[in-house]
Amino acid sequence: MKTLITALLVLAAGSAHALNAAEYQSGLAAAAKSAEPGFAGFSAQRGENFYRSTHGGDWSCATCHTDNPAASGTHTVTKKTVKPLAPAANPARFTDVDKIDKWFKRNCNDVLKRACTPREQGDFIAYLLTVK
Amino acid sequence: MKTLLTALLIAASAPALAGDHAYGPFPANYVSECGSCHVAFPPQLLTAPDWQAMMNALDKHYGVDAGLEAKPRAAIADFLQKNASRRDKHASTVQAPRLTQTVWFRKEHGNLPAKATKTLPAAAQCESCHTAAERGDYNESGLKLPAGFRHKER
Repeated sequence: MKTLITALLVLAAGSAHALNAAEYQSGLAAAAKSAEPGFAGFSAQRGENFYRSTHGGDWSCATCHTDNPAASGTHTVTKKTVKPLAPAANPARFTDVDKIDKWFKRNCNDVLKRACTPREQGDFIAYLLTVK
Repeated sequence: MKTLLTALLIAASAPALAGDHAYGPFPANYVSECGSCHVAFPPQLLTAPDWQAMMNALDKHYGVDAGLEAKPRAAIADFLQKNASRRDKHASTVQAPRLTQTVWFRKEHGNLPAKATKTLPAAAQCESCHTAAERGDYNESGLKLPAGFRHKER
């Protein structure tokens, strides 16, 4: 019994820190509001356009993550498999804030040659959440 | 029986011997940070100065941003320094260090190209021939050579 209680406590402590895409996105909303006074919520449509655009460079998000974010992709340089990006297809996505920040920084630099804005990140997640 | 026992003991101790192509297993942070875009390469296949140069330029890592926060970066740099090769044949012959561009690698890997072709994988795609490369195991028993591979470069 004591073991069970300990196990439950460990589980509860773990879940208190678990993150999901919607929660991460709500943090972005506050940042977007302070960056853009006219901010009126995230848009999945804008997010999809963003996902498919090459932003004037060679790559788009879809280059590695494919046209369908629920599918596995291939790293365009190394050919290694990239697991699905949409949380519906891969529940591990957007559950670790360090990982999210790391990959936004890297991939925004790769595709846009700059950091993404909070609105762009929120739109992007809004789109991913519509993918089933 | 004694011979069998000796043979088993040798087999069991084999992964610890140098030169048998067993480089791993690698620490979890190394595999997760350096093995997500490409296979986690054996640290033993480049020299300490090569790894240092690479770790100092992670934001511009062969055309992509592989930047890391200071703390995980330091841990990985330390692992690479401790396990780097001390042999000249493992020193990169090109300025941005590549473990596919050392005297040793070129001698061992025949006509493998820098970029994948229809018949051959790129030299850095270890896992396409070394089927257990994900675990740092490059033993020849797990080797699956593509039809177009030739041991001589030309």
